[in-house]
Amino acid sequence: MIGLVRAELLKLSTTRLWWVMLLSTVFFIGLSLAFFVGFAGNEPGGLPPIDTPQWAQVAWSAGSSGRIFVMILGVVMMTSEYRYQTITGTFLTTPRRGRVITAKLGAGLVVGALFALAVLAFTALVVIPAVLIAGGELSLTESRVPQIALGTVASFALYTILGIALGALVRNQIAGIVGAVAWAYIIESVFLAIPALQVVGKWFPGGAAQALMSIDVDTGMGTGGDMLPAWGGAAVLVGYAVVFAVVANVTTVRRDIT
Amino acid sequence: MTAIEIRNLSKSFGAVRAVDDVTFTVEAGSVTGYLGPNGAGKTTTLRSLLGLVTPDSGEALVGGKRYTDLATPLNEVGAVLEATNFHPGRTARNHLRLLCVAAGLPVARVDEALGQVGLADAAGKRVGGFSLGMRQRLALASALLGEPKVYILDEPANGLDPAGIQWLRGFLRHLAHDRGAAVLVSSHVLSEVEQTVDNVVIIAGGRLVRQGTLADLTAGGEKTVRVRTAEGGDLAPALEKAGATVERVDGGALRVHGLEPEEIGRIVLDQRVVLTEMTPERSDLQKVFLELTEAR
Repeated sequence: MIGLVRAELLKLSTTRLWWVMLLSTVFFIGLSLAFFVGFAGNEPGGLPPIDTPQWAQVAWSAGSSGRIFVMILGVVMMTSEYRYQTITGTFLTTPRRGRVITAKLGAGLVVGALFALAVLAFTALVVIPAVLIAGGELSLTESRVPQIALGTVASFALYTILGIALGALVRNQIAGIVGAVAWAYIIESVFLAIPALQVVGKWFPGGAAQALMSIDVDTGMGTGGDMLPAWGGAAVLVGYAVVFAVVANVTTVRRDIT
Repeated sequence: MTAIEIRNLSKSFGAVRAVDDVTFTVEAGSVTGYLGPNGAGKTTTLRSLLGLVTPDSGEALVGGKRYTDLATPLNEVGAVLEATNFHPGRTARNHLRLLCVAAGLPVARVDEALGQVGLADAAGKRVGGFSLGMRQRLALASALLGEPKVYILDEPANGLDPAGIQWLRGFLRHLAHDRGAAVLVSSHVLSEVEQTVDNVVIIAGGRLVRQGTLADLTAGGEKTVRVRTAEGGDLAPALEKAGATVERVDGGALRVHGLEPEEIGRIVLDQRVVLTEMTPERSDLQKVFLELTEAR
């Protein structure tokens, strides 16, 4: 199984996709961070000043919005096998298809976590100088950095395997990517932004990922107060991942590869 | 043991019966041509054999086992399917490397296999820039990684230039006759495999129509000889007198039924005409195959 996971990681590292996705993720998060720095201190109703722990909290959690990118990465990890028909060679090498899917999910966890670490490192490069220049104090605990970091790593890892499972389900690359983006940016954002719908939205992967961070700063878009507890968010995300993985396994194992 | 065994294999896709009760075997040390027009069911048979397609009924076994039950499939079976099974952004070497890693094979096999198929110079190039012929060679290299004893190739000559086809023929014969491997190679062009195979299995419309050794199939049925003479010499009356049926074919040649080449040679000598061509025609196999392909 370790060989299979290594092979899956090799598949990713021997094509250009991963660094294109990493650059896109970092660029996207860079935009949010620029926004947070630029509009800091625009109270009331806006962002707290840079030298407060509340601002640091918001800024540190900027990376979590990049999870859509690892989900797309996961979708592509699976669907490119169908798109380029490399799935044939993959199943010829490992005819027990469940093992292939399991190895892919394992590789997805690793890649998602590595992306999260890269994103956190990038965030640190922006946030730490910004806070220091503004004359604030660096307090990891007051700005909940450990929890945010853990939440980012966990949600990235789980979103990657959600993407892989989604890819196994739809097999078509464009459909998979469009599905992931539509889900994250239309359906989830509606259910998470409108307070009346948050009762449902908090059970979605996006709501669960937000709960994992459990930041409690009012950014003018409502607080995270209605979310699940952090452990609940983690449990919901793991639940999604397990369900998706099982669905991916069952559908992939039975299909003819023609 | 029988290297490849297809027993009463059937598979439908929707209403189309792609493979209908097909049975045949391939023995070690021989090359078997799996022939039939496009859409005859060749690919479905081979994909069932490789565990990619689940048959509706019947069995397809390699070394007595289903492919999906093989512990180390790349060590037992080398398969070449369509030429498009590569990620265009990956180099040839990396493509083989990750197969080795997944299969637990030593990575040193990568360069050996690339060398065997004549791709050593292109190892570091992205597959996206490969010609169809190079892709076929790379596919063959991936089949060679585990040094298996059974080879299953689906239309491997597609896209190869004449020199490539020549090379492939020699290579497949070498695998079967020198290394004792069982080779099953499909094609929709008889002439492509005629010079390579020991045995022939012909399929059309999902059903098996003929199987046997190449020698049996070419010897069987009615023998014909194509004869062409220099201008002014008409052999037809003399041949007919000797009991042959003569048919005039394109460009003034004669197709002679019912006489051995030697008998025709004696008549030519008696008639003192100049012979410009005398070709024995392997009528049965060619006729069977032509009828099958023309009917579609």
